[in-house]
Amino acid sequence: MTLEMVLLAGFGGALLTWLLGKVSARLRNGLAVLLALGMFVAVCLMHGQSFQRLLPLGFMGLRLSVRMNMLSWLFAVLILGTGLLSVIFSLRYMRGRSRLDYYYFTLLLINAAMLGTVVAGDLLTFFICWELVSWSTVLLISLKGTGRAISAGLKYMVMALAGSLAMLVAILSLHARFDTLTIPRLAELLGAAPLGYVLFVTVLMSAGFLVINALWPFHGWLPDAHAEAFSPFSSVLSGVLVRKGLYGLYLLVYVLLGTGLLQRLAWGALSYLNVMAWIGAITVVFAAFRALVQDDSKRILAWSTVGQGGYMVLASSLATELGVAGGVFHFLNYCLLSALLFFVAGAVEHRTGGTRDLNALGGLMRRMPVAFTGAMAGVMGVIGVPLTNGFVSKWIIYKSLLSEGRPFLAFAAFLGTWGTILYGYKFLHNIFLGRLPDRFAEVRRVPFTMALPILVLTALVLVFGVLPGIPLSAVSAAGVSMGFGSLGLSVWGITTDTGTLNVVNLLAAIVAGVFAVWALWRGLGRSVRVDQDDSYAAGMAVPRQRYNFTADFYGPLRRIIGPWAGDAADALLVGLARRTALVSDAFRKLYTGYVGSYVLYILLFLAALIFVQITWSPWL
Amino acid sequence: MVSPVLLIAVPLGLAFLIPLVGMASRRATGLMPILACLFNLVAVVLILPAALSDAIVVRIGGFAPPFGINLYAGPLGVLFAGLIALAGLAVSIYALGYIRRGSIRRYHLLYLLLLVGANGVVLTGDVFNLFVFFEILCISSYALVGYFGDRGGLEAASKYLVQGAVGSGLLLLGIGILYGMFGTLNMADLAARIGSSGGMSVFVPLALIVSGLGVEAAIFPLNAWLPDAHSSAPSPISAILSGIAIEVGLYAVARMVMTVFGAESMMAFLMFLGAATVLAGEMCAFAQRDVKRMLAYSSIGQVGLVLFALSVFSPGSVAGGLFQLLSHTLGKGLLFLAAGYMIYRSGSRRISSLNGMASRMPITSLVFAVGALSLIGLPPFAGFASKLMIVGSVLARGGTMLTLLLGAVLVGTLIEGAYLFGVVQAIYFRKTPAGAEGGRAPVSAVVPMLLLAALIVVVGVWPGPVAEALRAAASDLMDRTAYMGGVLP
Amino acid sequence: MNVLWYFLSPLIALLAGLLFLGLARKIMARIHWRYGPPVTQPLIDIIRLFSQRSASHGALFDLGLVLSLAGSLVITLFLPLGNIAPMSGSGGMLVILYMMLLGPLGMALSGGASANPNASIGVSRKLMLAMGYELPLLLVLLAVMTRFDTISIVSIVQQQRAGAWSIASFPLVVSGIAYLMVLPAILGLRPFEVAGAAQEISSGPQVELGGPYLALATMQHGLSMYIGASLFVNLALGGAANPFVFLVKVLVVLALCLFVNASFPRFRVEQAIGYLWRWPTLLALAGLVLTVVTGR
Repeated sequence: MTLEMVLLAGFGGALLTWLLGKVSARLRNGLAVLLALGMFVAVCLMHGQSFQRLLPLGFMGLRLSVRMNMLSWLFAVLILGTGLLSVIFSLRYMRGRSRLDYYYFTLLLINAAMLGTVVAGDLLTFFICWELVSWSTVLLISLKGTGRAISAGLKYMVMALAGSLAMLVAILSLHARFDTLTIPRLAELLGAAPLGYVLFVTVLMSAGFLVINALWPFHGWLPDAHAEAFSPFSSVLSGVLVRKGLYGLYLLVYVLLGTGLLQRLAWGALSYLNVMAWIGAITVVFAAFRALVQDDSKRILAWSTVGQGGYMVLASSLATELGVAGGVFHFLNYCLLSALLFFVAGAVEHRTGGTRDLNALGGLMRRMPVAFTGAMAGVMGVIGVPLTNGFVSKWIIYKSLLSEGRPFLAFAAFLGTWGTILYGYKFLHNIFLGRLPDRFAEVRRVPFTMALPILVLTALVLVFGVLPGIPLSAVSAAGVSMGFGSLGLSVWGITTDTGTLNVVNLLAAIVAGVFAVWALWRGLGRSVRVDQDDSYAAGMAVPRQRYNFTADFYGPLRRIIGPWAGDAADALLVGLARRTALVSDAFRKLYTGYVGSYVLYILLFLAALIFVQITWSPWL
Repeated sequence: MVSPVLLIAVPLGLAFLIPLVGMASRRATGLMPILACLFNLVAVVLILPAALSDAIVVRIGGFAPPFGINLYAGPLGVLFAGLIALAGLAVSIYALGYIRRGSIRRYHLLYLLLLVGANGVVLTGDVFNLFVFFEILCISSYALVGYFGDRGGLEAASKYLVQGAVGSGLLLLGIGILYGMFGTLNMADLAARIGSSGGMSVFVPLALIVSGLGVEAAIFPLNAWLPDAHSSAPSPISAILSGIAIEVGLYAVARMVMTVFGAESMMAFLMFLGAATVLAGEMCAFAQRDVKRMLAYSSIGQVGLVLFALSVFSPGSVAGGLFQLLSHTLGKGLLFLAAGYMIYRSGSRRISSLNGMASRMPITSLVFAVGALSLIGLPPFAGFASKLMIVGSVLARGGTMLTLLLGAVLVGTLIEGAYLFGVVQAIYFRKTPAGAEGGRAPVSAVVPMLLLAALIVVVGVWPGPVAEALRAAASDLMDRTAYMGGVLP
Repeated sequence: MNVLWYFLSPLIALLAGLLFLGLARKIMARIHWRYGPPVTQPLIDIIRLFSQRSASHGALFDLGLVLSLAGSLVITLFLPLGNIAPMSGSGGMLVILYMMLLGPLGMALSGGASANPNASIGVSRKLMLAMGYELPLLLVLLAVMTRFDTISIVSIVQQQRAGAWSIASFPLVVSGIAYLMVLPAILGLRPFEVAGAAQEISSGPQVELGGPYLALATMQHGLSMYIGASLFVNLALGGAANPFVFLVKVLVVLALCLFVNASFPRFRVEQAIGYLWRWPTLLALAGLVLTVVTGR
């Protein structure tokens, strides 16, 4: 199957799903799963292909085109994979809700359009697909229909639109100057363009990409949108949708500009890459602290998405093969992890009657073992505990930061990780650990179609953590397609000229250690299983229902960082929007409603015209 | 070969037939505008190929210009006539079901006259003739705004009338001065003569004409009538006023400034005016709670965008401006038509009363969303192609000032995106208020709305041919020598 | 011989850790003018605890503890014990930093699974405290890694042995002082004994532990003391040429911290973080800046 057919099937199939839904819900669901699966498999099979070709389709005199290389392939596979799992997860999660035809249609449309974004061979195709994703996303964010969901959608739309307008100006200006939008051709031509112009284009396009990738200070839309969307879609949103901004950055920075031009985009210490790296670093730390003070399961994950995006940009801005590999690999890993964690949060939400409040949950480990396993793997991965996939990418990121001699950036990255440990544990503890409240005593297990995506992702997290060479070979190839050298890889790890990582050693050591301790404990110790309420209360009589600690989990820390962790950047943007509304309202007063003043305007206009002409005679 | 005269004559004839038909059947009068529009549509299709290759100049009564009155059916005029017929057709089908109160015969008569006026303005080659057709257009629209006779409608109509009359007066004064100076009313002849003179004596009529026509074209700050008139008029009339009337006004401004006066030095000023109009319109619309008023203010913004694009005055940007005009006609017409029945069913023009409309009126809501997305300029709808064309050509023109102005204009479209999405979200996602009424729109409303929505999508997906035709139209507007050469022997 | 160290170094570390626990009790007692238990008391306790029966709160409760102790044992393979570092070649400092997570994390999971709020409070305090001292600690580590331009801890030790101890060489002395200032917090000693506060929250994460579980936890505690001190010795005090000298250095460092432990009352969490984020962090930052400015 060619790429063109996959795209056609994607867009056409979405519409077909919608129509089929009018006939039968069962058929619709089946088609949705088949379509997502088919696209995923078809694109998987394109591994290693590299081409650029025109589509039999034009737009305003420009031929649209597609391209495929390992970078596109990696993004495409992750997009379609997450899409597939999300559709499967939706089967149960969305059952019984209204407007499902619409839901599946939009989900599949976004899937196809995102694929189009990353396989676009020219910037027009890229932009069209980009905008398709933008507006269809808002329709899915707001679908829940609550007030917050609607304002989250609107916020997203306005910010995305602002970003894409900036991008549109940049793209069309490229077209005006070079008369082509084909990516390889532009890459050749841009090298000879004046630096000021390159900077203009770069800044505008980066703005668009930063908004979607939700980097500080343009992150404001993301926490609301991720928290308010339906959980299966949150997975897509957080795992791959925001990362089309990352793809855009790669496309701009390494494919279009290339390292040669990048070196010229620097004025002393103030270089484009430095600015991006620091934006990434600020995002990492800021998001980590914001995540700490959240009390909503999905909001924590949303802020985590912001922060991990910071890591990707931070590492990718180093412009070394190791740094870019770290960025791409972290994207791959976090795509799996965030999808997994949002599925878990969704499963919990599904079984507990929509509870997302971290102060109301607890102890669900006993009732939802699958979800708990997923949460463990996910949280450990996001933290980067050894033997999970997140460890390897974070190791690469730190390593590249240190070997490039950027200790302050590395400090931000380390600090962000510590924030991750805190909020990760809070997520895990407040949902799954601690005392199981009585009202959740009969909560049922996760249904099969929801457990399947969780288990698949958990397995991937662990497999990629132990055998990082498998995903890293694709990551390395993606780096090669961006013009970097390939990495020194083995199945077990990565070798650089200044240090190696060998996961098999870690695996062996940890397995041996665990086995030894376990043997000691099993061999010598004896224990009996007791009920959760059979615990030591230090002589105090505490009501059973209240014998739990979740509220304000990091209270003292919150009190210290609270004043500093305000969202000033977002407040500024929101304030700007409010101010615009006020000014608009004042402006409206110009239309007084009194016809005399209207006639006066007309005459004044005429008088002004003639006055200007008499005084300065600028016209004719 | 159909003569372009018929584009004006047939609707006019049918308009006069209406009283006669009305004696037989009141309902049948509604068919007359449909017939007229269908005829015009067919005629335009037949004329267009010829007009695109070479402008057709019709000498009325056989007198050669500059002595006789002539029609000038160039690519621009014919395309405009086609657009008028198309929008007119959609609106007249819609009106079949919507207009049930009042004197139906009078409504259809006035409506047809409005279309006749619009066709006349875009096809005529004579300044005074332009004034006459313009008056036909304006006067019938005054009457139609107040058609229902309710308080708001009448107030808006009388305000509109006052301002329109002032505008017409200025226009007439300008034409009079021109006639006094050059002794001719023929546009091509005027253009030829103005080319040889300049200075204050030419500027005063230009200023008068721009101010006069600017009122109908809704250029800031001459547009104060528009929010009242467009929001208080019956919805089909709002659609035709927003979709056709102001565009025709804009056409007249562009024709006079560009072709007749050739005032390229004024373009920078008009550009600023366009950008100011965009910002003024969009900002006023932003805070609106009344859906029709919001759409009306948005029309101001869109007209500003068209004016901006036209005054950038490069072949691409003028074509882009015309494209924007086309997509605005389709999109805004669609929005007004869709909003009309939503308001009719919910009984209120407040946006909050449209909450959850999608469950009650699915098709109407869908086409509303299509129209809104198209106006914002998102793919795969028509507005995207026009936005692309405008931005692209403006950037091709280059220059810091122009880029900054473009930025201001784009901020306007961003604001437009914000409020239009707000309405779409209200329709689709907000909960239906308890006790809300509403049933589906009748077939007579659904058919034209679907027609317009389909056109928006088709043009949005295959904008190539439209863009090509509009490039020809743009050169019609910009190329003075060709215009003069075509008319004058 | 090499293979043998894979088994010996965790064992030495474990014994050293338990020894330190005993010594700590003895020293504290002497400071308090008491006689105190014998130095081998923790070892005796562990043997006794393994003979008891205990209550379990489920699989994670068990596994968390096992993971915690195993992680702490494994980390000793990465930390040079004098000239011995069996697994130094697998990722260097970055891996050590991450492996150091396993111990506390396992403890946190086990504590969380015990469904006792005191344990949860303890874990939350531990994590907050860690956030508090990691800020200066990371700055210190980065200064050291930048100064020696390597992420390999063996190389750091070797370079110090070739030149001067970090704490005695110019830019790093600033970082070294900062490190010293946060060391009690890293070791969880007073005034930073917030997580395991016996009187307030019944020893925090250990509240539900009894019998073999408490034995595992005690071993983990001893190991974690050893790990914290030995990292300091390796990074700041130049490591050692052989295990014996190394252990002496570790002992000295721990004894120093015990004096601090004996002389201060316990901070509240806010106070602890407030202290850690003020002077130690500023010093550590200054150290890093100086290191970067002066270059190699």
